Amino acid sequence: MERFAGLLGQLPREQGQMLRALHLAQEELGWISRDAIRLIARHLRVSEAQVYGPATFYAEFRHSPPPQTLVTWCSGPSCRVVGGDRIRRIFEAEFGCRLGENTADDALGLWLGQCNGTCERAPMVWVNGRVVGPLTMVDTVRLARRLKDGEDPIDWPEQPIKIAPATFTGAEEVYGSAHAAELDGAAR
Amino acid sequence: MSSSYEEIREAAELAAAPRRAPERPLLRVDLSTSSIAAEADRLWEALVPLCAERGVDLIRVGTLGLSWLQPVVELERPGAGAVVYGPVPPAEAAEFLDAALSADPAEAAARWLIGARTPEAGVPSLDAHPFWAPQERRLMRSMGVIDPESLDDAIAEGAYEALDRAIGMEPMAICDLVLAAGVGGRGGGGFPAGQKWKFLLGAPGPTKYLVCNADEGDPGAFVNRVLMESDPHLVIEGMAIAGKATGAEYGFIYIRDEYPLAIARMELALVQARERGLLGEDILGSDFSFDLEITRGAGSYVCGEETGLIASVEGLRGMPKIRPPFPAQKGVFAEPSNVNNTETYANVPLIVRRGADWYRQHGTESDPGTKMFSISGALVRPGILEVPFGMGMDELLLGCGGGPPEGREPKGIQPGGPLGGLLPASDLRLKLERPPFTERGVLLGSGGLILFDDRASAVDLTKYFSEFCEDESCGRCTTCHGGSQRLVEVLERILHGDGRAEDLERIGVIDQTLQNANCLHGQFTPYAVRGLVNYFRSELDVHIEQRRDPALAAPGLTRYLVTDPHSAELAGARPLCPTGAIVDRAAPPADHAAEEGERAEIEPAGLTIDDARCIRCDVCRELAPQAVRVVDRFLAPLEAV
Repeated sequence: MERFAGLLGQLPREQGQMLRALHLAQEELGWISRDAIRLIARHLRVSEAQVYGPATFYAEFRHSPPPQTLVTWCSGPSCRVVGGDRIRRIFEAEFGCRLGENTADDALGLWLGQCNGTCERAPMVWVNGRVVGPLTMVDTVRLARRLKDGEDPIDWPEQPIKIAPATFTGAEEVYGSAHAAELDGAAR
Repeated sequence: MSSSYEEIREAAELAAAPRRAPERPLLRVDLSTSSIAAEADRLWEALVPLCAERGVDLIRVGTLGLSWLQPVVELERPGAGAVVYGPVPPAEAAEFLDAALSADPAEAAARWLIGARTPEAGVPSLDAHPFWAPQERRLMRSMGVIDPESLDDAIAEGAYEALDRAIGMEPMAICDLVLAAGVGGRGGGGFPAGQKWKFLLGAPGPTKYLVCNADEGDPGAFVNRVLMESDPHLVIEGMAIAGKATGAEYGFIYIRDEYPLAIARMELALVQARERGLLGEDILGSDFSFDLEITRGAGSYVCGEETGLIASVEGLRGMPKIRPPFPAQKGVFAEPSNVNNTETYANVPLIVRRGADWYRQHGTESDPGTKMFSISGALVRPGILEVPFGMGMDELLLGCGGGPPEGREPKGIQPGGPLGGLLPASDLRLKLERPPFTERGVLLGSGGLILFDDRASAVDLTKYFSEFCEDESCGRCTTCHGGSQRLVEVLERILHGDGRAEDLERIGVIDQTLQNANCLHGQFTPYAVRGLVNYFRSELDVHIEQRRDPALAAPGLTRYLVTDPHSAELAGARPLCPTGAIVDRAAPPADHAAEEGERAEIEPAGLTIDDARCIRCDVCRELAPQAVRVVDRFLAPLEAV
C-alpha cells in the first residue's frame, strides 16, 4: 500500500488520470480495495463516489483479491461457434464456482474475458494470461483437474515477451541502451 | 538542432541495411499476440543460440496475417528470396533451421514451407497461395517484414515521409486531399474523414484534441491490434498529419487493455518518434508541434462509441452522450476534438504520399481504397488480410479463408461485431462494401467477419450477442439496458423450450423500443435478433413451436442419450465426466431381477446418463462417439432401445 501511495503521488492531480490511477492500484495491490479508492480520491481531489463510479463501470477492475491461478474464459463468438460455451460449463462444474467467481479458498478463479483476436486458437481459455487452445472438451477437463491439483500444466517461459531483445548484428548501435530504462517504465 | 527528414531517412537506411539487404541469412520471427499464443516466444528463445551458432541474424517482426499457421517465420538469404515457413513448433527449431538453410529448402524444409514472399528458385511463390493471392497489401505492406520496434526499419520503408510533406502543406489542402481520396471512418461508420477534419479545422482554438479509437471491442475483430503491433509508426504518422490538418497539437490513443503488446509497442514507438524529433515541439525543424499520449482502456465495449470514448479519456465512466454537440464542437475536456478509428488514421500517410487518384485505384465508389479484414469462426484458414473494397464475401471467406472444415456447410455470417447482425450463407455473394450490407439490415462494421457452420445455433448466437449488449450497456437509457434485458429473457426462455407463439411479436416490440435509445449501442442492439427473425426464421420457429434445436447445440433443448450401455469407450469416459453424470443403469425391479438373476450377473446393467446432472459438455461423446448421441430433449425417447 505504501509503494502504491508513493507511485500514485507521482501522477498529476487531474481527473484525466483516473484510469491510470486505477490501473496502478490493480497492478500494485492486485485489486481495487476501498482503501485504494480513498487514496485515489484524495490524490485526484474528487469524492470517493467519483472514483467508485469508474472503478465499478469498467470490467477490468476487480473488487476482490485475485485467485492464485486465474482461468479467463473467452466469451467471443469465434470460440462460441466451435463449442466455447461447453468449456465454461466444464470449468464451472470442475471448479465448483460460477463464471466471475473464485473457489472458496481463492486458489482458482474462473473469470470472463473479452476476445483479443487470437481466434485461430478457438475455443480457448487464458491461464494466468497465457492462451491455451484450441481445446477439445476432454482437454478442458484434464486442464481443469490439473489446475485443481495445484499443478502448473503449462511450462511457460519466465517472462512473456513484451519488448523482445534484438540479437542481429549491430543491435547495440541500432537500439542502443539509451532509452531502455525509459521503455521499461513505458511498457508497463 | 533538429535534422531534416532527408538526413533522418539517410541515417535510418544505413542503420536498417542489415535487415533490408541482408549479407547473412536473416530469420524473421513473427512475434505478435497470435504467434505468442502459439508459443512463438519459446521458439524465439530456442532460436537465439541456434542462430548465433549458424551465423544467422534473428529479428522480430509483426504479422503477415497467416494466423492459422503460427508460429510463422521467414528466412531471407543473401542473393535468394524470403521464404515463409510455419508452423514451426519450438521443439523443431534446430531441425527446421538446418533444413531451411540447406541447399534445397523446398525439399528439405517441405513440411514447414508456406511459400516464397520474394522469388526464390525452386520454391512456390506465396502469390499463388489462396490466402495471399487476392490481397492488395497497402497498410500491411511492411507488416511481418519490418521490426515494429525499430524506428529505423519503419523510416527506411518510408515512414514519416508523408508527415514531412504535410508539414509543408496548408491544413485545408490536406483536408481536401483526404476528402478527395474518400477514406471513410473505418470503425464502420464510413463518414468521410476529410469532412470530419474540416469541422475541427473550422472550430475555434487554441486547444483542440485528436483521439484515436483503438478500443476495438467487437469480438472477432483484431484489425487495430495487428496495425499497432506490426507497424505502430503508421498510426502515429497518420495522427500527426491529422494534427497538422486540423490545428490540433495534442492527441490521445485510446487502446483497450486486452492488447498489452499493442500498448507496449505504441509506447515504444512514441518514445522513439519523440527522440528523433518526429513528435514534440517544432517537428522536423518546422513550427508545427504535436504530441500524443496513450490512454489504457479498462474493459468497456461502449467506450468504442466516440462520446463514450471521450468520457473515458476524461477519466469518467464511459457513458455516451447525446449528440449534438458533436466532438468537433465540444469533445475531450469540452474542447473541440476529432475521433477516428486507428485504421482511418493509418490510411492517411499513404494518401499524402501517393495521392488521391492512387488511393481510388482500388475499392468502390461508396468505399474507395482497401480494407483490412479479420476472418475467423468455422474457417480452415482464419487470419487477417487486406483486400480492395468491393470483393465478394465468398471470395474472402471461402477463397482466402478456405470455408468451413470438410464435411461442414456454411450456415451464416456474422459481420461487424455484436451490433452488426446476422446473415444467411446465401449472402456470401454480397460485395464487401457498406451499401449492400446496410440494405440487408446489417453492418459491415470494423472488419471482423465470422463464418459459422451447421454446428452453431443461430438462436444461441443471437442470445449471446444480446447478452453481450446487455452486459455492455452503460445503463443511462432504460430503453437500452432494460430492452436488452427483456430480449435476453425471451431468447433464454425459447432456448429452454418455453417459447410462446407471441414471442415474435414481443421481439418486434423490443426491437422498436430499442431504436429509441440515445446512442448507437442501444439502437444497434436489435440488429442481431432482427437478423435471426429475417434470415433464420424457420430455425426460430422450430425452436418455439417444436421445442427443438435443429443444430442440436442448445443445452436446454438437447439431451445426451446412451445408445450402447456396454461400450468400453463410455466406461473409459466415466471418470472424465465433470459432473459424474455417467451412472450405472438402475437395476431391474426385484421380481424381474429374480427371474433374470443369472443373466444380470453375466451381463451388468451397463451405463446411462443422468440427465439431471448432465451439463451437455460433450466429453462423453468425444470419447465414445459410437455410444452416445445428442437428441432432442422433448421429443426423443428417454432410453435407446
